[in-house]
Amino acid sequence: MAAPNVRTSSFSRNISVVSSSPQIPGLKCGPNGTTFISTGIRDLDRILGGGYPLGSLVMVMEDPEAPHHMDLLRTFMSQGLVNNQPLLYASPSKDPRGFLGTLPNPGSSKEDKPTAPDLDQGESLRIAWQYRKYMENQKSSIDDYSNDFDMRKPLERQFLAGRPIDCVSLLDSSDLSVAEDHCATFLSKFPRLCIISFLFDGHLLLFKLVNSSNIASIGRIAIQSFCSPLCEYSDKESEMLSFIRLLKSMLMVSNAVAIVTFPPSMLSPSSSTRLQHMADTLLSIKAIPDGDKELEKLLTGYKDINGFLNVHKVARINTQVPVILEAKTFSMSLKKRRFLALECLNQAPVDGSSGTSYGTSGSCSGSSKSGALDF
Amino acid sequence: MADSIFRKLRDGGEEGELAPALTIEETVVSPFALDVSCYLLANLSSSILAGKSKGLVLVTFSRSPSFYLQFLKQRGIVVSSSSKWIRVLDCYTDPLGWIDQPSTGVTEGPSLVKLNKCVSDLKRLFSSVIDAGREMVGDGKTRFSVAIDSVNELLRHSSMPLVSGLLTDLRSHAQVSSLFWSLNTDLHQEKVTNALEYISTMKANLEPFCPSPDGKRNALENLFLAHQDFGKGRFHVRFKLRKGRVRVMSEEYHVDQTGINLSPISSAESVIAATKSLIPKVHFNLQLSEKERVEKEKVVLPFEHQDHGKSTEIYDGRRTLADGKTEATPLSSGELQADVVSSGKGGEIIYFRDSDDEHPDSDEDPDDDLDI
Repeated sequence: MAAPNVRTSSFSRNISVVSSSPQIPGLKCGPNGTTFISTGIRDLDRILGGGYPLGSLVMVMEDPEAPHHMDLLRTFMSQGLVNNQPLLYASPSKDPRGFLGTLPNPGSSKEDKPTAPDLDQGESLRIAWQYRKYMENQKSSIDDYSNDFDMRKPLERQFLAGRPIDCVSLLDSSDLSVAEDHCATFLSKFPRLCIISFLFDGHLLLFKLVNSSNIASIGRIAIQSFCSPLCEYSDKESEMLSFIRLLKSMLMVSNAVAIVTFPPSMLSPSSSTRLQHMADTLLSIKAIPDGDKELEKLLTGYKDINGFLNVHKVARINTQVPVILEAKTFSMSLKKRRFLALECLNQAPVDGSSGTSYGTSGSCSGSSKSGALDF
Repeated sequence: MADSIFRKLRDGGEEGELAPALTIEETVVSPFALDVSCYLLANLSSSILAGKSKGLVLVTFSRSPSFYLQFLKQRGIVVSSSSKWIRVLDCYTDPLGWIDQPSTGVTEGPSLVKLNKCVSDLKRLFSSVIDAGREMVGDGKTRFSVAIDSVNELLRHSSMPLVSGLLTDLRSHAQVSSLFWSLNTDLHQEKVTNALEYISTMKANLEPFCPSPDGKRNALENLFLAHQDFGKGRFHVRFKLRKGRVRVMSEEYHVDQTGINLSPISSAESVIAATKSLIPKVHFNLQLSEKERVEKEKVVLPFEHQDHGKSTEIYDGRRTLADGKTEATPLSSGELQADVVSSGKGGEIIYFRDSDDEHPDSDEDPDDDLDI
């Protein structure tokens, strides 16, 4: 007979997130041996399960009518600079360095930050007395991993000066060789352990490419408006596809994350679909119509919403288990006009007396008609 | 609403921003972009003559300059060679330089219509547009508008990246206040149209009235209806706003001999809302407002008193809530007691409690065995 197990509860907690890596700030260990870096937006980190995993390729599908992909890029780049991670930025403008002037600064004091309802002290969360001992203090998020960025303040000079930032203009390149060279030299600084097995003449040869067990440093690559019609290579779809394929293969053996934004309507449908398939994490932006009465009735906070963010794919590395998100569409808004927030779409309170019914929202709003509520 | 386009074009962009740009799209079934351009042209011209804007450079590709001058004359705007407010770049007469002209090197000073012989050299086209504009307004800070007749011709001779480069260069030039062009979308691939929409800030398109999708009509009737409805349809405009939102406006248009007439939408059918497709899943709001949070704090829960050692008033669902969130206004509807809970937004929940029928008899209380 087995000794009685001393367990505090019949449920065992599923600990999937370990405390952050002590070596380098800005990294977090994730499940299945992956390491995350912050996206720059706390809500997005939470939605994606921690952040962007190292070695992944993030693609953002732009909406030509809305500039919100720039905000995603800005927070990504700022987070990298705040965490002292080298940055490579490519864009189809003549002077990409100018974009660095629009990067946001981390929000400064506690009062500025939007406070989530905190659950730690037990005063505000009222639980039954016998369960109090299981109450775990919810720590506020680790400050050196991610920051809340104040979109109105430009990034301080201390973060920009002396940091390794490489800016490339894609405007005049007729093919992508310039971009390829820059990416290759940049990524060679962040090698990762990689074993490739190689079948040669019937014999199995094992190659150990790079031997670095500690993560020395992390790199971030941001490519903006990759298929912009202003670039000369925008006609050559197969070249663009092979560039992204090359980038993805280089990323797999590096400790870096690349974020590429592209307007999918600039490509033929088949190329657009192929690019989307190559992404590890796929997000898209959608513009919101202004002054739309239907949407105003449907959503709370319609006036504050600037656009929608859809999460199509979340990166899963070293596992076959997919992530099933509760919601795939989030609204992008600015809290206190400064901090980017991503929220689930919430239905506006239904006006019972008007008797309208929302058939298509998929929620139980059929009882909006006034009358007895049947329980 | 077409006035709002016109006003945006007339006012131009802010300092440091790219100039607003309008794409007018037409299709084979509603080929009226020319009428829309002429309408805008007439309005811009009258505003220039009234002194509200400065100059206009018209680049003609699909019609000869005399067509436009004639059109303006019909509208009462006389353009002579000494007019200082308009310049026309003629890319219609001889775009590829096939006709030999003996005197190519002599420039006769500022003239109204300038011949452009090499349409495929976009850099030269850009500089001639800017030079023509500068002739009118000088080199300082005054700005002029640019109207391009039809981008289809440009795309015929040059590739998409070069054309979009030219348009973006025009937009980013400090002296260009606004820019508009027209495009026939049926002549190009969709990605060309998308690329032009990408670089413009306003997009206007013409949608004809569809014939009724009634299968019982025969072909002759359909033809008759199509012919009748040919000059009519809806004019939709999408504005890109700075915050990242899109404003969509619509009007009805009607083309006749004098040009295009725009009127607000008469019929009650509204534009099909794209909202349903946008929102796949909307959740209920589970966040509490401040007021609701305060009320929640006040409610005493049954298990809390066990630790404190004192008994407290417990809400057991039988009494109406007295304070705060609800305003109980009992309806006198027969002998049933109903609670009307108003949520402050004008909605009402009318709840008839079953347990009010019976007396709160302790013998029948199912919760009796709980230590409350």
